[in-house]
Amino acid sequence: MDNAETFEKVALPHLDAVYRAAVALCGRRQKADDLVQDTFLKAFERFASFQPGTNCKAWLLQILRNIWIDQLRRKKVAGQELPLAEQIIAERNHDNEIVWSNAEDLIENFSDEQVIKALSELPEDQRLTLFLIDVEQLSQKDVARITGVAEGTVKSRTSRGRAALKERLASYARKMGLMGP
Amino acid sequence: MNHITDEQFEDILEGKDMGLAHLRQCQKCRDRLAEKKAIAERLRSAFGSMQASPDLADRICHKLNTTTTAATSEKSMQRVSLSRHRRQLWPALAAAAAILIVLVPLSMYFGTSSTARAAQAELVEIHQENLGPDREFFSDAEPEKLAEYFKSELGFSPAFPCTGHGMAIRGCCVAHFRERIVGSYVVDTPQGVISIIVVTDTPRSIGMSRMLERTRSGETCWKASFARCSMVTVRLGDYSYCAVGEISHKYLLELISRLLS
Repeated sequence: MDNAETFEKVALPHLDAVYRAAVALCGRRQKADDLVQDTFLKAFERFASFQPGTNCKAWLLQILRNIWIDQLRRKKVAGQELPLAEQIIAERNHDNEIVWSNAEDLIENFSDEQVIKALSELPEDQRLTLFLIDVEQLSQKDVARITGVAEGTVKSRTSRGRAALKERLASYARKMGLMGP
Repeated sequence: MNHITDEQFEDILEGKDMGLAHLRQCQKCRDRLAEKKAIAERLRSAFGSMQASPDLADRICHKLNTTTTAATSEKSMQRVSLSRHRRQLWPALAAAAAILIVLVPLSMYFGTSSTARAAQAELVEIHQENLGPDREFFSDAEPEKLAEYFKSELGFSPAFPCTGHGMAIRGCCVAHFRERIVGSYVVDTPQGVISIIVVTDTPRSIGMSRMLERTRSGETCWKASFARCSMVTVRLGDYSYCAVGEISHKYLLELISRLLS
């Protein structure tokens, strides 16, 4: 079995997971396609450094994340940061937090596009972390390795990301008349 | 009462058994946990059905194949270059060699590429001839007799297609491919008529790229497109079974998978 064949067998089964992560990062499918292609080509170049038996999906997602960061740096485009006021909302003490008593029912009213859009509006670090934890269901340890931060940071980013996502969804819900102002 | 912190909620969501005693007593924390779970589940379901397009998979496979071919050419260039260096040829000859080093691999690369395309064109031509009114088939429906026919015409017994599921062999015949005699079956399927051409050439030498999908029995599949035809090839033993037809790669794979199962 040649190198390309081994790579295809080991890495390509994770194509959908890498694609979903790319959509989570880019928000646009066309751009996500290019990012995924770059990721697999870069991974193929570095395939010699991949240790068989380790988590290939995490390895690919780490490459994806690095390429994405490089692209942001090159274009000097900051991630779509939330305005400061909203970050404060996301990080506020939850003594004042309104807990949705009917969370499941409320959330089912949103379309997939709305949920993905709400995610894409989060700051880059929260967006990827929340995606990896909630959608790909990776462990905090794997996510820490992918994003290059400590596990504690992963926890706080996930928590802040989830709170910020809730705020976004709440704003949609208000516009849709599902919640009071 | 100290409520569960955000970080503790993350641990609970990850399945670590923490704060469960408090959860039993505190409705607010139970509601917060339910809300976080609901958001996580909704996020997961939003991405649940999202898949990369088959085009993207094809593009990546194609790029990988191109990269591999380019790397092979580069290695052969390096080998020629080192060999020349060791012999310590004169500078003038080295310059000439450098030109050769560039031109020969390039001509080989383009030559191979055009040869592969020519091979694909030949396969499509065989298929189109198979569909023509003048094509003469050995059309006995008994597999043993068809096998005897191939044995006598080609000197070997190729794997014989299993029919059923709306598929029937119209007949088999011999044709010329790369100036050699090869055998082909013509099969009527619910999606249209396909030819299965049995050649000794490897799929890569015919310029085919590897597919992500495999046959039901796990064989690697290869594909190419030429004109309006799709081709899917499976290598069994020393032979490549090339299914050709104006049908999508997906259906061709399904058909050849059934035929050769």
